[in-house]
Amino acid sequence: MARRGRSAEPRGSALYEVIKGVDFERRELLEKPAGVGLFDLVREPDGSYRCYACTLCERTCPVDCIEIDYCPEHEELPFDVEAEKAAIAAAQPEVDRSRFDAVIARIREGSGLIEALHATQEAYGWLPRKALEDIAAEMHLPFSRVYGVASFYTQFRLEPVGRHVISVCMGTACHVAGAPLVAEAFSQALEVPVGGTSDDLAFTLQTVNCIGACALAPAVRLDDSETFGRVTPDEARRIVRRLRKREED
Amino acid sequence: MAPVNRSSQNDGRGAKVMAAYETLVARAGRPALAPGTRVIRVCAGSTCNAMGRDKLVAALRKELAARGLADEVTVLETGCHGLCQEGPIVVVHPEGVFYPRLSPKDIAEIVETSVVGDGVVERLLYRHPETGEPVVREDDIPFYARQRRVVRELNGRINPTSIDDYLAHGGYRALASVLAGRQPEDVIAEIERSGLRGRGGAGFPTGRKWRSCRANPGEVHYVVCNGDEGDPGAFMDRAILEDNPHSVIEGMAIAAYAIGWDNTPVQGYVYVRHEYPLAVARLRTALEQARERGLLGKDILGSGFEFDIRINQGAGAFVCGESTALTASIEGQRGMPRGKHIRTVAHGLWGQPTNLNNVETYANVPWIINHGAEAFAALGTATSKGTKIFSLAGKVRNTGLVEVPMGATLREVIFGVGGGMLPGREFKAVQLGGPSGGCLPAELLDEPVDFESLTGAGAMMGSGGMIVVDDSTCMVDFARFFLRFTSEESCGKCVPCRVGTTRMLEILERISAGEASVDDVELLERLCGDVIEGSLCQLGGSAPNPVLTTLRYFRDEVMAHVVEKRCPAKVCRPLIKYVIDPEKCTGCHACFTACPVGAISGERKQPHVIDQSLCIKCDTCRQVCKFDAIPVVDAEPALTEGRSR
Repeated sequence: MARRGRSAEPRGSALYEVIKGVDFERRELLEKPAGVGLFDLVREPDGSYRCYACTLCERTCPVDCIEIDYCPEHEELPFDVEAEKAAIAAAQPEVDRSRFDAVIARIREGSGLIEALHATQEAYGWLPRKALEDIAAEMHLPFSRVYGVASFYTQFRLEPVGRHVISVCMGTACHVAGAPLVAEAFSQALEVPVGGTSDDLAFTLQTVNCIGACALAPAVRLDDSETFGRVTPDEARRIVRRLRKREED
Repeated sequence: MAPVNRSSQNDGRGAKVMAAYETLVARAGRPALAPGTRVIRVCAGSTCNAMGRDKLVAALRKELAARGLADEVTVLETGCHGLCQEGPIVVVHPEGVFYPRLSPKDIAEIVETSVVGDGVVERLLYRHPETGEPVVREDDIPFYARQRRVVRELNGRINPTSIDDYLAHGGYRALASVLAGRQPEDVIAEIERSGLRGRGGAGFPTGRKWRSCRANPGEVHYVVCNGDEGDPGAFMDRAILEDNPHSVIEGMAIAAYAIGWDNTPVQGYVYVRHEYPLAVARLRTALEQARERGLLGKDILGSGFEFDIRINQGAGAFVCGESTALTASIEGQRGMPRGKHIRTVAHGLWGQPTNLNNVETYANVPWIINHGAEAFAALGTATSKGTKIFSLAGKVRNTGLVEVPMGATLREVIFGVGGGMLPGREFKAVQLGGPSGGCLPAELLDEPVDFESLTGAGAMMGSGGMIVVDDSTCMVDFARFFLRFTSEESCGKCVPCRVGTTRMLEILERISAGEASVDDVELLERLCGDVIEGSLCQLGGSAPNPVLTTLRYFRDEVMAHVVEKRCPAKVCRPLIKYVIDPEKCTGCHACFTACPVGAISGERKQPHVIDQSLCIKCDTCRQVCKFDAIPVVDAEPALTEGRSR
């Protein structure tokens, strides 16, 4: 991503003044020697903690001195965790566990979390809940952290994926060449919304930001193996008809 | 890890390193594309692959085998040649005859005439875009002749999967010469003198970054390469990684040496988009080969220097191109940026000093070491040195990768190298820098392309995406496209960016639907300023740029949507409708068959009509009509006439 120095001129907005103030305080803070403050959590009159572990302080701390961990001794949660887990697992299709062993092996070799998620998605085409739980256990991470990462990145799928994945490129060159019309044509022909999967799990339709084939705009990629260039809405419908036929055979 | 204390004296290391390097070069043998040899060079870049390169190569090999030429003639599959528009591309050497847009059925004729004989197949030659005359040699094609290739010098001439080919062309010589005895300070001084600035968009002086990274204490230093080319419409970094991955590895190793040789251990990372599978595969091969040759790993070329590189893949988050988000992503976290009051060079990956440069920046380094800082500084303008690669795309004749010296004008790039607009179309704007950049109008075509002038005009260099649009693109729709992108890609940490871009998008959607008022436009402008000031990273800090430049240079077009409720480019759907011209319609039934919603009716050989209540404005009928009988008109053309403001 490209960057540019922001303009130094005040914009006159109230927001600007606030930000300037925050920045000033931060600089003040950084000039002090380390270890002068002692942290405590504010308690409500009834003795309970006010903190909700939203992790905002952890993320914004300029010197990374706050680390929020979950508290295993905390017994009384407002809902039944095990029942919720079972309900989510029951809603997802069964997956072949043997394919997951390679992922665990790679984690033991020292692969990072994102690599592990990529390996899982390669094995299944998506990220089953059970696999995320196993990754969390193997890497000694809270499940929330693994789920948080998996849901942050657009390429990770938390729902089962179709046998064919149609990716319509939405890069700038494709956009000006009419990619939105192509995506719409696919959506109509497949009867699947963009980002959705057909009920028979045959097709998943998605848009991607740029596959870098700008000379072929608008470009469509099928299953990471085939690329169609200069696709028109009419051509899109023909591709779908051909794929349907291939599926039937 | 314990800090490394090395003597800065050259204790006979130089001779040892150079001897090890010369052994590698001797082992590599002659380059595949040696002068005077019969070589058929086939482009194996992503675009040519998609256009059927594999079938073409199979046909070529079969034809050569059938004629018993398989051993005499080398088929060299190279990286991208740059002229993606004309793919798949084949060049026959030693003459350098250029054949664009080939299909397997042309192969037999080419082998007969150009490989067995010395002739050319005239009907398959490239045509000069201005004169229409056939052009025989690759070097004479204006697209290539008008470029100045520094970084892409070898791209398209070497086999990207062979380290020997790179070595045979003088590859890794810069690394060897540095390891053989140059002091880290001396290397950094050379880069500083060259004036190289970061090619990722911000243009920070590379040498200065290396120096401050080196000066910051830590247990280990990291050298990270940013290959998260998220700008839609930019693909230069992908091309460098695919076509010449060793140049990036070499550049990173030189940076690692300059930062860590007499300092601390250094570890390298390359962060590549997961959307670029070929780039990842080629980089992986290149790393294995470099390790096998002793150019990475422990004791590189016998110098005692240790450095290795790991690949990390992204997972589709534009914000990860931001330095602090990128390091968070490598660490396996959500890619959210932090405030940069402490810079990455002091506190980056895992809290250690980290040097982060773009792919293209590293690829420039070996050239600078080999040719000297002065040769590099001789190219470009006073403040922006060297060349810049642009990915030229959109409604221009030659789309592809273009490398020009800094300071070339937009006109030279678009009309000189790019060959101008498509026939019958008029230049409207050029979009630079992707979602962080802006659209420049025809009046600014003579603006030189360097960091300062582009920023002054409201656009930016960005990573080098250059999208040309013609009169069929609506600037409101275009701005809306970028804003939808940034609002979807906002990581959500800063409220002004997360909520601000969404509100701006809503306003643009109202404008495009003809439902906005003049107050909305004012509000939009105010929001732009707030989002810029209120965002931590440059995703939010630059997200309003496309809107600001649209309002600055194309205000009339925006106001046409707001005041007159019409879209001059006939793109915004609520403001247009499709009609059939009864004069031109022949009743051929093509549109009737193609219409997906059955909105067109009419007997054969009779003019057809479109039922406006059913029409979804999908543009299919207009595209299939061979008689140009379906114009797009304003939905309510009478609205503006005779109406006072």
